[in-house]
Parts: sequence; C-alpha cells; structure tokens
Amino acid sequence: MALGKIKADTLEHSTAGSLDTKFVVNGSAKVWSRWQGTDTFGINDSLNVTSGTDNGTGDYTMTFSSAMGNANYSFTTNTMNNTSTNKGFITGLDSGSTPQTGSFDTTIHQNETGLADRGYVSLQIMGDLA
Amino acid sequence: MSEVKTNKLTGTSTAGSILVTGEGNSTTTNLQQGLAKVWAKCSADGTSITDSFNITSLSDDGTALQTLTIANDMANANYSSLATSIDSTCILIADSHATGTYRLVSRNNAGTLTDSITHSALLGDLA
Repeated sequence: MALGKIKADTLEHSTAGSLDTKFVVNGSAKVWSRWQGTDTFGINDSLNVTSGTDNGTGDYTMTFSSAMGNANYSFTTNTMNNTSTNKGFITGLDSGSTPQTGSFDTTIHQNETGLADRGYVSLQIMGDLA
Repeated sequence: MSEVKTNKLTGTSTAGSILVTGEGNSTTTNLQQGLAKVWAKCSADGTSITDSFNITSLSDDGTALQTLTIANDMANANYSSLATSIDSTCILIADSHATGTYRLVSRNNAGTLTDSITHSALLGDLA
C-alpha cells in the first residue's frame, strides 16, 4: 500500500482546539539525545543523531543524521546533579566551539573544579532543518 | 487554507511514526519523536503546578527538591530532559529519571540547594 500524505495548514481537534501546522514543523525538536557520560560512553536514546563522541572529561560531540538549515538554532543541555555533595554542574556549548549545522559540542563544568563527566547528559535542539 | 479536523493522527506504516517535511523542504523529521511529552512550570516552594502537560502531581521533597509525577508514563528512562530556573542565579537540573517520575534539583551559584521556580520538559518515547 502506498504511503499516505496529508498537506494541510491547520490541524483541529474536536475539543482541544486547532493548530497551524507551521507550529508542528517549526515547533518540533529536530535533535534530542540522552547519553551516558561516565564509565563506558554511549548514547541511551536520541532523535536525528547518527553518532556521539567522547572528547575527554566532560566534553562530548553529537553528530546529526540530517543537518540543520543553519547554526542559529536554539539549544538546551542538562545533566544529573548530585544531592549528596554541595556541588552543582553547569552544562552548555563548549566555550571553544560554535554551533554547527551538522554537530554540537557539549561540555559539563563542576563549579570551581573544571570539566567533569556525568552519568546522564541531555541535549535538545529547536530550529530549522536543512 | 486547507484544514484537517481529527482527534488522532496515526501513521500508515507504523502507527506511532509520522514524518513531517522540514523547513528546508529537503529532509523530514519524525513528528512523534520531536514533540515534548511532558512540560511543567512549578512554584519555588514545590507546592503548586503553575501550568503543565502530562503531569499528574508535584511533590515537595525538601529545599530545592521537586518530584513530578507523569500522567502517561514514558516508555523508558532514557529520555532527554530540559530544566531551567526562572532565577538567573540558580542552576536547575533533572536529577533522576524514571518512567513515571522525574526530580528537579535547584542550586545557587555557590552550589547550595536553593528553592526556585522551575521550568522543565521531557523529550523521548511515550509508553
């Protein structure tokens, strides 16, 4: 059976309201990933990620399957905390890097002590696909 | 303008997989995978949910610790979490991931556990 295809500008639910389909296209995350940053590095689950690289302590690169249309996308990163010690962890774009259309470099800093590996690291990207 | 009125979208080949053409018209993204499955804004004291999607309750676990219970569970605990605080001096992190709950931890820039208004979302697979 041939695949079906719907072309529409609006989706409407009987009770929950309607939605311009531009919000479906523009509002969907184009990349997300959750990976193991300690011990044996590995991606736990992801969307639009073809591979991940452990660049060293607290430094990881996710490579996209389908590239973004430009490097002006919105990104968020996160990691596990540690409630047993009085320490916080800050995640973000590697300060020595810039967003790339085909990949993203995440680093984790433990307050005042530099780069640190964490068990669970998350990345999300919203923006335009190529 | 064309308009589709329906209460449910289901993939033809795979029920839980619908492709959407991307902005550049050359690639597609997966609709189900790209949607946030959970989001919430909660009060700093952890006693009230300001607004949310797919959240059934909030538990105050002590200073700076909030556990949110998910209405329709995630399929696994490998989801990608997003968390940020409304207070620019606080760092908010999703501390634990389970299929039916997740916990947020807020710290100030000295690393001390500190209450803050929380914003969070989850991307991953629904059960």
